[in-house]
Amino acid sequence: MKGILEYSQGDTVIHRLNPLTKMLIALLLCMSSFLSNNLLAAAAIIALNVIIGHLAGIGKKALSIMATLLKLGAVLFLIQVLLIRTGDKVLDLPLNLYITNTGLKFSLLLVLRLVGATMPLVIMLTVTKMSDLTNVLVQKLHIPYKYAFAFITALRFIPIFEHEMNGIIEAQTARGVEFDTKNPVKKLKLVLPLCVPLLISSVKRIEGSAISAELRGFNVRKKNSGYKKYSFSLLDYSAVLVTVLVLIFSASIV
Amino acid sequence: MIKFSNVCFAYDKANILENVSFTIEKGEFVAIVGRNGAGKTTLMKLFNGLLKPTSGNVSVSNLDTRLSKTSELARHVGFLFQNPDRQICRNTVKDEIAFGLNCVLDNKSEIEKRCRETIESFGFSGQKDPFSLSRGERQKVALASIIALSPEILVLDEPTTGLDYKECMHIMNIIKELNRSGTTVIMVCHDMELVSDFARRVIVIGDGGILADDMCKKVMLNSAVLARASLAPPQIAELAIRLGDDFGGILTIDEMTDKIESRCLQ
Repeated sequence: MKGILEYSQGDTVIHRLNPLTKMLIALLLCMSSFLSNNLLAAAAIIALNVIIGHLAGIGKKALSIMATLLKLGAVLFLIQVLLIRTGDKVLDLPLNLYITNTGLKFSLLLVLRLVGATMPLVIMLTVTKMSDLTNVLVQKLHIPYKYAFAFITALRFIPIFEHEMNGIIEAQTARGVEFDTKNPVKKLKLVLPLCVPLLISSVKRIEGSAISAELRGFNVRKKNSGYKKYSFSLLDYSAVLVTVLVLIFSASIV
Repeated sequence: MIKFSNVCFAYDKANILENVSFTIEKGEFVAIVGRNGAGKTTLMKLFNGLLKPTSGNVSVSNLDTRLSKTSELARHVGFLFQNPDRQICRNTVKDEIAFGLNCVLDNKSEIEKRCRETIESFGFSGQKDPFSLSRGERQKVALASIIALSPEILVLDEPTTGLDYKECMHIMNIIKELNRSGTTVIMVCHDMELVSDFARRVIVIGDGGILADDMCKKVMLNSAVLARASLAPPQIAELAIRLGDDFGGILTIDEMTDKIESRCLQ
Protein backbone atom coordinates (compact mmCIF):
# COMPACT_ATOMS: atom_id res chain seq x y z
CA MET A 1 0.00 0.00 0.00
CA LYS A 2 1.18 3.51 -0.79
CA GLY A 3 2.17 5.92 1.97
CA ILE A 4 -0.05 8.58 3.47
CA LEU A 5 -0.74 11.56 1.10
CA GLU A 6 0.98 9.71 -1.74
CA TYR A 7 -0.96 10.30 -4.98
CA SER A 8 -3.15 7.39 -6.05
CA GLN A 9 -3.62 7.38 -9.81
CA GLY A 10 -7.10 6.87 -11.18
CA ASP A 11 -9.92 8.15 -13.36
CA THR A 12 -12.77 8.00 -10.88
CA VAL A 13 -15.46 10.62 -10.41
CA ILE A 14 -13.49 12.01 -7.45
CA HIS A 15 -10.28 12.19 -9.49
CA ARG A 16 -12.10 14.15 -12.21
CA LEU A 17 -13.24 16.90 -9.83
CA ASN A 18 -11.49 20.26 -10.00
CA PRO A 19 -8.63 20.29 -7.42
CA LEU A 20 -10.17 23.38 -5.82
CA THR A 21 -13.55 21.60 -5.53
CA LYS A 22 -11.83 18.70 -3.79
CA MET A 23 -10.21 21.05 -1.30
CA LEU A 24 -13.52 22.85 -0.74
CA ILE A 25 -15.31 19.53 -0.15
CA ALA A 26 -12.60 18.51 2.31
CA LEU A 27 -12.92 21.82 4.13
CA LEU A 28 -16.73 21.60 4.25
CA LEU A 29 -16.61 18.03 5.57
CA CYS A 30 -14.08 19.16 8.16
CA MET A 31 -16.44 21.95 9.27
CA SER A 32 -19.40 19.53 9.29
CA SER A 33 -17.47 17.26 11.59
CA PHE A 34 -16.65 20.05 14.03
CA LEU A 35 -20.18 21.51 13.92
CA SER A 36 -21.90 18.18 14.63
CA ASN A 37 -23.06 17.81 18.22
CA ASN A 38 -24.65 14.46 17.65
CA LEU A 39 -22.72 11.19 17.88
CA LEU A 40 -24.66 9.60 15.03
CA ALA A 41 -24.15 12.62 12.76
CA ALA A 42 -20.40 12.59 13.51
CA ALA A 43 -20.29 8.84 12.76
CA ALA A 44 -22.28 9.44 9.54
CA ILE A 45 -19.63 11.94 8.35
CA ILE A 46 -16.95 9.29 8.90
CA ALA A 47 -19.06 6.81 6.91
CA LEU A 48 -19.41 9.42 4.14
CA ASN A 49 -15.62 9.77 4.08
CA VAL A 50 -15.25 6.01 3.67
CA ILE A 51 -17.78 6.10 0.80
CA ILE A 52 -15.83 8.94 -0.87
CA GLY A 53 -12.65 6.88 -0.46
CA HIS A 54 -14.39 3.90 -2.05
CA LEU A 55 -15.63 6.05 -4.94
CA ALA A 56 -12.07 7.31 -5.43
CA GLY A 57 -10.80 3.73 -5.63
CA ILE A 58 -8.88 3.97 -2.36
CA GLY A 59 -11.44 2.24 -0.12
CA LYS A 60 -8.78 0.10 1.61
CA LYS A 61 -6.62 3.12 2.26
CA ALA A 62 -9.57 5.09 3.65
CA LEU A 63 -10.30 2.26 6.09
CA SER A 64 -6.64 2.08 7.06
CA ILE A 65 -6.55 5.87 7.69
CA MET A 66 -9.70 5.51 9.79
CA ALA A 67 -8.16 2.66 11.80
CA THR A 68 -4.96 4.65 12.44
CA LEU A 69 -6.92 7.72 13.53
CA LEU A 70 -9.14 5.62 15.77
CA LYS A 71 -6.05 4.20 17.49
CA LEU A 72 -4.81 7.74 18.14
CA GLY A 73 -8.34 8.70 19.16
CA ALA A 74 -8.45 5.87 21.70
CA VAL A 75 -5.57 7.49 23.62
CA LEU A 76 -7.29 10.90 23.51
CA PHE A 77 -10.55 9.28 24.58
CA LEU A 78 -8.90 7.70 27.60
CA ILE A 79 -7.33 10.99 28.72
CA GLN A 80 -10.51 13.01 28.16
CA VAL A 81 -12.89 10.56 29.77
CA LEU A 82 -10.79 10.50 32.94
CA LEU A 83 -10.33 14.27 33.12
CA ILE A 84 -13.95 15.42 32.62
CA ARG A 85 -15.62 15.44 36.03
CA THR A 86 -18.98 17.07 35.25
CA GLY A 87 -22.16 15.04 34.79
CA ASP A 88 -23.50 11.89 36.46
CA LYS A 89 -21.10 9.16 37.53
CA VAL A 90 -21.44 5.99 35.48
CA LEU A 91 -18.35 4.13 36.66
CA ASP A 92 -16.14 4.45 39.75
CA LEU A 93 -12.45 3.72 39.32
CA PRO A 94 -9.56 3.44 41.79
CA LEU A 95 -7.35 6.50 42.66
CA ASN A 96 -10.42 8.76 42.94
CA LEU A 97 -11.02 8.51 39.21
CA TYR A 98 -14.47 8.13 37.73
CA ILE A 99 -16.27 8.28 34.41
CA THR A 100 -19.32 10.49 33.89
CA ASN A 101 -22.00 10.40 31.22
CA THR A 102 -20.96 13.89 30.03
CA GLY A 103 -17.33 12.79 29.89
CA LEU A 104 -18.25 9.71 27.88
CA LYS A 105 -20.33 11.63 25.36
CA PHE A 106 -17.84 14.49 24.99
CA SER A 107 -14.82 12.18 24.64
CA LEU A 108 -16.55 9.98 22.09
CA LEU A 109 -17.66 13.04 20.13
CA LEU A 110 -14.12 14.41 20.25
CA VAL A 111 -12.71 11.19 18.77
CA LEU A 112 -15.37 11.03 16.07
CA ARG A 113 -14.78 14.69 15.20
CA LEU A 114 -11.03 14.13 15.00
CA VAL A 115 -11.47 11.18 12.64
CA GLY A 116 -14.21 12.87 10.60
CA ALA A 117 -12.21 16.08 10.19
CA THR A 118 -8.87 14.47 9.29
CA MET A 119 -10.09 11.85 6.83
CA PRO A 120 -11.42 14.19 4.10
CA LEU A 121 -8.19 16.17 3.95
CA VAL A 122 -6.09 13.03 3.62
CA ILE A 123 -8.44 11.41 1.07
CA MET A 124 -8.66 14.52 -1.10
CA LEU A 125 -4.92 15.11 -1.06
CA THR A 126 -4.39 11.44 -1.99
CA VAL A 127 -6.50 11.80 -5.14
CA THR A 128 -5.11 15.19 -6.22
CA LYS A 129 -1.84 15.69 -8.06
CA MET A 130 0.29 18.18 -6.15
CA SER A 131 1.21 19.99 -9.38
CA ASP A 132 -2.52 20.46 -10.17
CA LEU A 133 -3.14 21.78 -6.69
CA THR A 134 -0.29 24.28 -6.98
CA ASN A 135 -1.47 25.48 -10.38
CA VAL A 136 -5.09 25.86 -9.31
CA LEU A 137 -4.08 27.83 -6.21
CA VAL A 138 -2.13 30.20 -8.47
CA GLN A 139 -4.73 30.44 -11.26
CA LYS A 140 -7.98 30.58 -9.30
CA LEU A 141 -7.02 31.90 -5.88
CA HIS A 142 -4.23 34.17 -7.18
CA ILE A 143 -1.81 32.98 -4.53
CA PRO A 144 1.80 33.85 -5.52
CA TYR A 145 3.49 30.79 -7.02
CA LYS A 146 6.30 30.84 -4.45
CA TYR A 147 3.88 30.49 -1.53
CA ALA A 148 1.71 27.90 -3.26
CA PHE A 149 4.82 25.90 -4.14
CA ALA A 150 6.15 26.10 -0.56
CA PHE A 151 2.81 24.92 0.85
CA ILE A 152 2.45 22.06 -1.59
CA THR A 153 6.09 21.02 -1.23
CA ALA A 154 5.59 20.77 2.53
CA LEU A 155 2.68 18.39 1.90
CA ARG A 156 4.60 16.49 -0.77
CA PHE A 157 7.44 15.82 1.65
CA ILE A 158 5.19 14.01 4.15
CA PRO A 159 5.05 10.73 2.18
CA ILE A 160 8.74 11.10 1.31
CA PHE A 161 9.66 11.41 4.99
CA GLU A 162 7.35 8.53 5.81
CA HIS A 163 9.12 6.38 3.22
CA GLU A 164 12.51 7.48 4.55
CA MET A 165 11.48 6.74 8.14
CA ASN A 166 10.30 3.26 7.12
CA GLY A 167 13.69 2.67 5.48
CA ILE A 168 15.50 3.84 8.63
CA ILE A 169 13.32 1.62 10.84
CA GLU A 170 14.04 -1.34 8.54
CA ALA A 171 17.78 -0.68 8.71
CA GLN A 172 17.68 -0.40 12.51
CA THR A 173 15.54 -3.54 12.93
CA ALA A 174 18.02 -5.42 10.75
CA ARG A 175 20.81 -4.53 13.20
CA GLY A 176 18.86 -5.78 16.19
CA VAL A 177 16.83 -2.78 17.38
CA GLU A 178 13.52 -4.18 18.59
CA PHE A 179 11.14 -2.21 16.38
CA ASP A 180 9.19 -5.41 15.88
CA THR A 181 8.14 -5.32 19.53
CA LYS A 182 4.43 -5.12 20.29
CA ASN A 183 5.00 -2.73 23.23
CA PRO A 184 4.08 0.77 21.92
CA VAL A 185 5.95 2.61 24.73
CA LYS A 186 9.16 0.70 23.99
CA LYS A 187 8.66 1.35 20.28
CA LEU A 188 8.24 5.10 20.90
CA LYS A 189 11.45 5.20 22.96
CA LEU A 190 13.31 3.47 20.13
CA VAL A 191 12.01 5.92 17.52
CA LEU A 192 13.52 8.99 19.22
CA PRO A 193 17.20 8.34 18.30
CA LEU A 194 16.10 7.87 14.69
CA CYS A 195 15.18 11.54 14.44
CA VAL A 196 18.89 12.23 13.80
CA PRO A 197 19.21 10.23 10.53
CA LEU A 198 15.75 11.39 9.45
CA LEU A 199 16.66 15.04 10.03
CA ILE A 200 19.95 14.69 8.19
CA SER A 201 18.45 12.91 5.19
CA SER A 202 15.57 15.42 5.11
CA VAL A 203 17.87 18.44 5.08
CA LYS A 204 19.94 16.83 2.29
CA ARG A 205 16.81 16.07 0.28
CA ILE A 206 15.36 19.56 0.72
CA GLU A 207 18.66 21.13 -0.33
CA GLY A 208 18.70 18.89 -3.41
CA SER A 209 15.11 19.80 -4.27
CA ALA A 210 15.82 23.53 -3.90
CA ILE A 211 18.85 23.31 -6.21
CA SER A 212 16.98 21.31 -8.86
CA ALA A 213 13.98 23.70 -8.69
CA GLU A 214 16.28 26.65 -9.30
CA LEU A 215 18.04 24.85 -12.15
CA ARG A 216 14.65 24.22 -13.77
CA GLY A 217 13.81 27.91 -13.77
CA PHE A 218 11.81 28.27 -10.55
CA ASN A 219 12.53 31.99 -10.31
CA VAL A 220 11.39 32.80 -13.85
CA ARG A 221 8.00 31.14 -13.38
CA LYS A 222 5.02 33.52 -13.46
CA LYS A 223 1.27 33.29 -12.91
CA ASN A 224 0.57 32.34 -16.52
CA SER A 225 3.40 29.81 -16.85
CA GLY A 226 1.05 26.85 -16.28
CA TYR A 227 -0.57 25.68 -19.54
CA LYS A 228 -3.34 23.55 -17.99
CA LYS A 229 -6.75 25.18 -17.41
CA TYR A 230 -8.87 24.17 -14.43
CA SER A 231 -12.51 24.86 -15.23
CA PHE A 232 -15.51 23.97 -13.06
CA SER A 233 -18.08 21.53 -14.44
CA LEU A 234 -21.61 20.56 -13.42
CA LEU A 235 -20.06 17.69 -11.45
CA ASP A 236 -18.08 20.19 -9.35
CA TYR A 237 -21.14 22.34 -8.57
CA SER A 238 -23.23 19.26 -7.68
CA ALA A 239 -20.52 17.85 -5.41
CA VAL A 240 -20.17 21.16 -3.55
CA LEU A 241 -23.96 21.43 -3.22
CA VAL A 242 -24.23 17.96 -1.71
CA THR A 243 -21.43 18.76 0.76
CA VAL A 244 -23.10 22.04 1.77
CA LEU A 245 -26.30 20.05 2.47
CA VAL A 246 -24.24 17.66 4.63
CA LEU A 247 -22.85 20.67 6.52
CA ILE A 248 -26.32 22.10 7.14
CA PHE A 249 -27.62 18.69 8.18
CA SER A 250 -24.82 17.99 10.64
CA ALA A 251 -24.98 21.48 12.15
CA SER A 252 -28.75 21.36 12.64
CA ILE A 253 -29.01 17.94 14.31
CA VAL A 254 -28.69 18.14 18.09
CA MET B 1 22.56 -22.81 6.94
CA ILE B 2 20.13 -20.87 4.71
CA LYS B 3 17.35 -22.78 3.04
CA PHE B 4 14.67 -21.40 0.73
CA SER B 5 11.92 -23.97 0.08
CA ASN B 6 9.36 -23.09 -2.60
CA VAL B 7 9.34 -19.46 -1.51
CA CYS B 8 6.78 -17.13 -3.08
CA PHE B 9 6.52 -13.43 -2.34
CA ALA B 10 4.02 -10.84 -3.55
CA TYR B 11 3.60 -7.11 -2.89
CA ASP B 12 -0.14 -6.54 -2.69
CA LYS B 13 -1.17 -8.76 -5.61
CA ALA B 14 1.96 -8.51 -7.76
CA ASN B 15 4.06 -11.68 -7.62
CA ILE B 16 7.74 -10.85 -7.27
CA LEU B 17 9.14 -14.30 -6.50
CA GLU B 18 7.58 -17.65 -7.35
CA ASN B 19 8.69 -21.05 -6.06
CA VAL B 20 12.26 -20.06 -5.32
CA SER B 21 14.33 -22.86 -3.76
CA PHE B 22 18.03 -22.96 -2.95
CA THR B 23 20.44 -23.66 -0.12
CA ILE B 24 23.47 -21.65 0.93
CA GLU B 25 26.05 -23.43 3.06
CA LYS B 26 28.27 -21.95 5.75
CA GLY B 27 31.30 -20.05 4.43
CA GLU B 28 29.99 -19.52 0.89
CA PHE B 29 30.42 -16.21 -0.98
CA VAL B 30 27.31 -15.83 -3.11
CA ALA B 31 26.43 -12.96 -5.45
CA ILE B 32 22.82 -12.33 -6.41
CA VAL B 33 22.48 -10.58 -9.75
CA GLY B 34 19.64 -9.58 -12.04
CA ARG B 35 18.08 -6.63 -13.79
CA ASN B 36 16.49 -3.74 -11.86
CA GLY B 37 13.15 -4.78 -10.40
CA ALA B 38 13.93 -8.50 -10.72
CA GLY B 39 13.40 -9.03 -6.99
CA LYS B 40 16.99 -9.04 -5.68
CA THR B 41 16.35 -6.70 -2.75
CA THR B 42 13.12 -8.54 -1.97
CA LEU B 43 15.10 -11.78 -1.86
CA MET B 44 17.68 -10.16 0.46
CA LYS B 45 15.00 -8.92 2.83
CA LEU B 46 13.64 -12.46 3.07
CA PHE B 47 16.99 -13.58 4.54
CA ASN B 48 16.54 -11.66 7.78
CA GLY B 49 12.77 -11.62 8.08
CA LEU B 50 12.28 -7.97 7.07
CA LEU B 51 9.87 -9.56 4.59
CA LYS B 52 8.04 -12.78 5.31
CA PRO B 53 7.33 -15.21 2.45
CA THR B 54 3.76 -15.28 1.13
CA SER B 55 4.15 -19.07 0.93
CA GLY B 56 7.00 -21.52 1.37
CA ASN B 57 9.69 -21.44 4.02
CA VAL B 58 12.89 -19.55 4.67
CA SER B 59 15.16 -21.13 7.26
CA VAL B 60 18.21 -19.26 8.53
CA SER B 61 20.51 -20.96 11.05
CA ASN B 62 17.67 -23.41 11.73
CA LEU B 63 15.26 -20.54 12.51
CA ASP B 64 12.06 -20.13 10.51
CA THR B 65 12.03 -16.44 9.52
CA ARG B 66 8.24 -16.43 9.63
CA LEU B 67 8.27 -17.36 13.31
CA SER B 68 11.28 -15.28 14.37
CA LYS B 69 11.49 -11.54 14.86
CA THR B 70 13.93 -9.64 12.63
CA SER B 71 15.62 -8.20 15.72
CA GLU B 72 16.28 -11.78 16.90
CA LEU B 73 17.53 -12.88 13.48
CA ALA B 74 19.95 -9.91 13.60
CA ARG B 75 22.10 -12.01 15.97
CA HIS B 76 22.72 -14.41 13.07
CA VAL B 77 22.31 -12.20 9.99
CA GLY B 78 24.11 -8.87 9.54
CA PHE B 79 22.52 -6.70 6.84
CA LEU B 80 24.37 -3.84 5.18
CA PHE B 81 22.04 -1.51 3.30
CA GLN B 82 22.92 0.48 0.21
CA ASN B 83 22.47 3.78 2.05
CA PRO B 84 24.57 3.99 5.25
CA ASP B 85 22.74 7.17 6.33
CA ARG B 86 19.67 5.10 7.19
CA GLN B 87 21.72 3.11 9.65
CA ILE B 88 23.90 5.72 11.32
CA CYS B 89 22.10 7.39 14.22
CA ARG B 90 24.76 8.22 16.81
CA ASN B 91 27.04 11.22 17.23
CA THR B 92 30.35 9.37 17.43
CA VAL B 93 31.75 6.37 15.58
CA LYS B 94 32.24 4.55 18.90
CA ASP B 95 28.62 5.09 19.96
CA GLU B 96 27.46 4.00 16.53
CA ILE B 97 29.32 0.70 16.79
CA ALA B 98 28.15 0.23 20.39
CA PHE B 99 24.49 0.94 19.44
CA GLY B 100 23.95 -2.38 17.64
CA LEU B 101 25.93 -4.27 20.29
CA ASN B 102 23.75 -2.83 23.06
CA CYS B 103 20.71 -4.23 21.28
CA VAL B 104 21.96 -7.82 21.27
CA LEU B 105 24.34 -8.05 24.24
CA ASP B 106 23.94 -7.39 27.97
CA ASN B 107 27.57 -7.71 29.03
CA LYS B 108 28.99 -4.14 29.16
CA SER B 109 32.64 -5.23 29.22
CA GLU B 110 32.07 -7.47 26.18
CA ILE B 111 30.42 -4.54 24.35
CA GLU B 112 33.37 -2.29 25.24
CA LYS B 113 35.87 -4.97 24.11
CA ARG B 114 34.17 -5.62 20.75
CA CYS B 115 33.81 -1.89 20.17
CA ARG B 116 37.51 -1.29 20.79
CA GLU B 117 38.55 -4.22 18.60
CA THR B 118 36.34 -3.10 15.72
CA ILE B 119 37.56 0.50 15.87
CA GLU B 120 41.18 -0.71 15.88
CA SER B 121 40.73 -3.14 13.00
CA PHE B 122 39.03 -0.51 10.83
CA GLY B 123 41.44 2.23 11.88
CA PHE B 124 38.69 4.66 12.89
CA SER B 125 38.94 7.56 15.28
CA GLY B 126 36.25 6.59 17.80
CA GLN B 127 35.26 10.14 18.73
CA LYS B 128 34.65 11.35 15.15
CA ASP B 129 31.17 12.39 14.08
CA PRO B 130 30.10 9.75 11.50
CA PHE B 131 27.95 12.27 9.62
CA SER B 132 31.01 14.40 8.86
CA LEU B 133 32.78 11.49 7.12
CA SER B 134 32.90 10.83 3.38
CA ARG B 135 30.34 8.49 1.74
CA GLY B 136 32.85 5.65 1.66
CA GLU B 137 33.86 6.19 5.29
CA ARG B 138 30.21 6.23 6.38
CA GLN B 139 29.68 2.95 4.51
CA LYS B 140 32.69 1.57 6.41
CA VAL B 141 31.21 2.72 9.74
CA ALA B 142 27.91 1.02 8.85
CA LEU B 143 29.80 -2.16 7.91
CA ALA B 144 31.91 -2.00 11.09
CA SER B 145 28.85 -1.69 13.31
CA ILE B 146 27.46 -4.86 11.70
CA ILE B 147 30.73 -6.78 11.82
CA ALA B 148 31.01 -5.92 15.54
CA LEU B 149 27.93 -8.11 16.06
CA SER B 150 29.93 -11.09 14.67
CA PRO B 151 27.11 -12.39 12.48
CA GLU B 152 27.37 -15.86 10.95
CA ILE B 153 25.83 -14.52 7.75
CA LEU B 154 26.53 -11.15 6.14
CA VAL B 155 23.98 -9.84 3.65
CA LEU B 156 25.10 -6.89 1.53
CA ASP B 157 22.71 -4.90 -0.62
CA GLU B 158 24.86 -3.19 -3.25
CA PRO B 159 27.61 -2.35 -0.75
CA THR B 160 29.77 -0.41 -3.17
CA THR B 161 27.21 1.91 -4.79
CA GLY B 162 28.53 5.47 -4.94
CA LEU B 163 32.04 4.53 -3.83
CA ASP B 164 35.22 5.20 -5.76
CA TYR B 165 37.51 2.31 -6.77
CA LYS B 166 39.79 2.64 -3.72
CA GLU B 167 36.91 2.78 -1.23
CA CYS B 168 35.18 -0.06 -3.04
CA MET B 169 38.28 -2.30 -2.91
CA HIS B 170 38.87 -1.46 0.76
CA ILE B 171 35.35 -2.53 1.71
CA MET B 172 35.41 -5.62 -0.50
CA ASN B 173 38.75 -6.75 0.93
CA ILE B 174 37.35 -6.48 4.47
CA ILE B 175 34.39 -8.59 3.36
CA LYS B 176 36.72 -11.10 1.67
CA GLU B 177 38.71 -11.49 4.88
CA LEU B 178 35.52 -12.08 6.86
CA ASN B 179 34.48 -14.72 4.35
CA ARG B 180 37.90 -16.40 4.70
CA SER B 181 37.38 -16.57 8.44
CA GLY B 182 34.10 -18.45 7.94
CA THR B 183 31.37 -15.81 7.58
CA THR B 184 28.82 -16.60 4.89
CA VAL B 185 28.56 -13.63 2.52
CA ILE B 186 25.58 -12.95 0.28
CA MET B 187 25.85 -9.86 -1.90
CA VAL B 188 23.58 -8.11 -4.36
CA CYS B 189 25.72 -6.31 -6.89
CA HIS B 190 25.36 -4.72 -10.32
CA ASP B 191 29.10 -4.53 -10.92
CA MET B 192 29.91 -7.77 -12.75
CA GLU B 193 33.67 -7.15 -12.46
CA LEU B 194 33.29 -7.07 -8.69
CA VAL B 195 31.12 -10.18 -8.74
CA SER B 196 33.65 -12.13 -10.82
CA ASP B 197 36.52 -10.92 -8.60
CA PHE B 198 34.98 -11.86 -5.26
CA ALA B 199 32.00 -14.23 -5.51
CA ARG B 200 32.42 -17.97 -5.91
CA ARG B 201 28.78 -18.73 -6.63
CA VAL B 202 26.26 -16.60 -8.56
CA ILE B 203 22.47 -16.74 -8.43
CA VAL B 204 20.76 -14.98 -11.35
CA ILE B 205 17.28 -13.68 -10.56
CA GLY B 206 14.73 -12.88 -13.25
CA ASP B 207 11.15 -13.52 -14.39
CA GLY B 208 10.10 -14.15 -10.77
CA GLY B 209 12.53 -16.99 -10.20
CA ILE B 210 16.09 -18.26 -10.44
CA LEU B 211 17.49 -18.21 -14.00
CA ALA B 212 20.83 -19.71 -13.02
CA ASP B 213 22.57 -20.88 -9.86
CA ASP B 214 26.10 -22.05 -10.45
CA MET B 215 29.80 -21.37 -9.99
CA CYS B 216 30.71 -17.78 -10.87
CA LYS B 217 32.74 -18.74 -13.94
CA LYS B 218 30.01 -20.89 -15.45
CA VAL B 219 27.39 -18.18 -15.03
CA MET B 220 29.61 -15.41 -16.38
CA LEU B 221 30.29 -17.42 -19.54
CA ASN B 222 26.65 -18.36 -20.06
CA SER B 223 25.73 -15.59 -22.47
CA ALA B 224 22.14 -16.86 -22.92
CA VAL B 225 21.35 -16.53 -19.22
CA LEU B 226 23.11 -13.17 -18.94
CA ALA B 227 21.17 -11.83 -21.93
CA ARG B 228 17.89 -13.06 -20.45
CA ALA B 229 18.69 -11.20 -17.23
CA SER B 230 19.82 -8.08 -19.16
CA LEU B 231 23.36 -8.48 -17.82
CA ALA B 232 26.69 -8.15 -19.55
CA PRO B 233 29.71 -10.27 -18.62
CA PRO B 234 32.83 -8.49 -17.27
CA GLN B 235 34.76 -6.66 -20.01
CA ILE B 236 37.74 -9.00 -19.64
CA ALA B 237 35.47 -12.00 -20.29
CA GLU B 238 34.05 -10.31 -23.40
CA LEU B 239 37.57 -9.56 -24.64
CA ALA B 240 38.56 -13.20 -24.07
CA ILE B 241 35.57 -14.39 -26.08
CA ARG B 242 36.51 -12.05 -28.95
CA LEU B 243 40.11 -13.29 -28.88
CA GLY B 244 38.92 -16.78 -29.76
CA ASP B 245 38.60 -20.27 -28.31
CA ASP B 246 42.15 -20.29 -27.02
CA PHE B 247 41.24 -17.55 -24.53
CA GLY B 248 37.87 -19.10 -23.66
CA GLY B 249 36.92 -19.26 -19.97
CA ILE B 250 39.03 -16.30 -18.91
CA LEU B 251 37.18 -14.18 -16.38
CA THR B 252 39.73 -12.10 -14.50
CA ILE B 253 42.68 -9.88 -15.37
CA ASP B 254 45.03 -12.27 -13.54
CA GLU B 255 43.88 -15.19 -15.68
CA MET B 256 44.32 -13.09 -18.82
CA THR B 257 47.84 -12.03 -17.79
CA ASP B 258 48.79 -15.65 -17.06
CA LYS B 259 47.42 -16.75 -20.42
CA ILE B 260 49.29 -14.04 -22.35
CA GLU B 261 52.49 -14.83 -20.46
CA SER B 262 52.19 -18.54 -21.25
CA ARG B 263 51.49 -17.74 -24.92
CA CYS B 264 54.56 -15.48 -25.06
CA LEU B 265 56.74 -18.19 -23.51
CA GLN B 266 55.48 -20.68 -26.11
